[in-house]
Amino acid sequence: MSDARIEGYARALFEVARAEGTLDEVEDELFRFARSYESSDALRNALTDEHVPAEKRQAIVEDLLGGKATPTTIQLVSMVVGSGRSRELPAIVDSLVQRASSAKQLDVAEVRTAVALTADQQARLKAALENSTGKSLNLKAIVDPTVLGGVVATIGDTVIDDTVRTRIDQLQSRL
Amino acid sequence: MSLLATTSLLVARVLPASEEVPFDDKGYHTEHWLFAPTWETIIASTASIIVFGLLYKFASPTVKQSFKDRTEGIQKELDDSAAAKSVAETEATRIREAKGDIDAERGRLYAEADAQAEALLTDGRARLDDEMADLEARSDADIDAAADRSADELRAEIARYSSKAVERIAYDTLDNTTQQELIESFISRVGASS
Repeated sequence: MSDARIEGYARALFEVARAEGTLDEVEDELFRFARSYESSDALRNALTDEHVPAEKRQAIVEDLLGGKATPTTIQLVSMVVGSGRSRELPAIVDSLVQRASSAKQLDVAEVRTAVALTADQQARLKAALENSTGKSLNLKAIVDPTVLGGVVATIGDTVIDDTVRTRIDQLQSRL
Repeated sequence: MSLLATTSLLVARVLPASEEVPFDDKGYHTEHWLFAPTWETIIASTASIIVFGLLYKFASPTVKQSFKDRTEGIQKELDDSAAAKSVAETEATRIREAKGDIDAERGRLYAEADAQAEALLTDGRARLDDEMADLEARSDADIDAAADRSADELRAEIARYSSKAVERIAYDTLDNTTQQELIESFISRVGASS
């Protein structure tokens, strides 16, 4: 999918969420759903299988998000899946998050941890990262068991990696 | 005079004349029991002389020519034989020379074959030595490469298993407390790095 098309979908989602007045929630829910989509082979296969009718794939989305996300988020994801753009969903969502952050004069800080961060930890981590980079950040916390432990933060091209996974990889390289 | 007539006359003179003896029971008689009467001897001798004279006169040239021809024929055969012998001797000499040449050629060929065989043997040994050295070198290189490869593979395996073991140990030991400590440590370190 071309960048222009991804940008087009992202702009559409952004405008719908902003029109609905749920931009922050929708942005956060879409971001978490995109990460779940990336980490789950079963979900990815189910939503990208062209042999499965679009209605069926949309029903899967509604079953997954029903009661856990806002109706706007569910409808937007269902719209993307129904239009056969499931493969580009993470890129569309990332572009949407970038667009939303830019609208709020923020940079996106993607933080991955093996266990969920508490609200207090997110706040302190955001403050620490803003203090370290000198930027106002839109923190996106992702639970990623593959990091094993520790934290990796990605802010634009800057990566601050202090995960157990990276240390093990470094140890393996040295070996 | 023929030899027979002469002999008859001499015998007649030497031997005494015999008495007439009856020849058979019919009354025929002969003058001598052995020799013919004289006139028969004379006539026979004369006839013999005539015959021998005629033979000498007419047959002698033919006989002489025959003997001469025969002599010439024999001489010719002798000459031919001598020539053939000479040719045969020449041929024999040539054959002996050829045999000598053949012997020499055979010796030369044997020597040449020996030399070639020796050269081939030497060359073959040298080539074999080279090939052996090359094979040994390649084998050494292969062994070294295999050893290096095995060592690399072993190191990779050790690293992989070590990594797996570390990962497993880390996974088992990373309880929630440790996770929180790691997160707090990260926050503190990032916050202090401004």
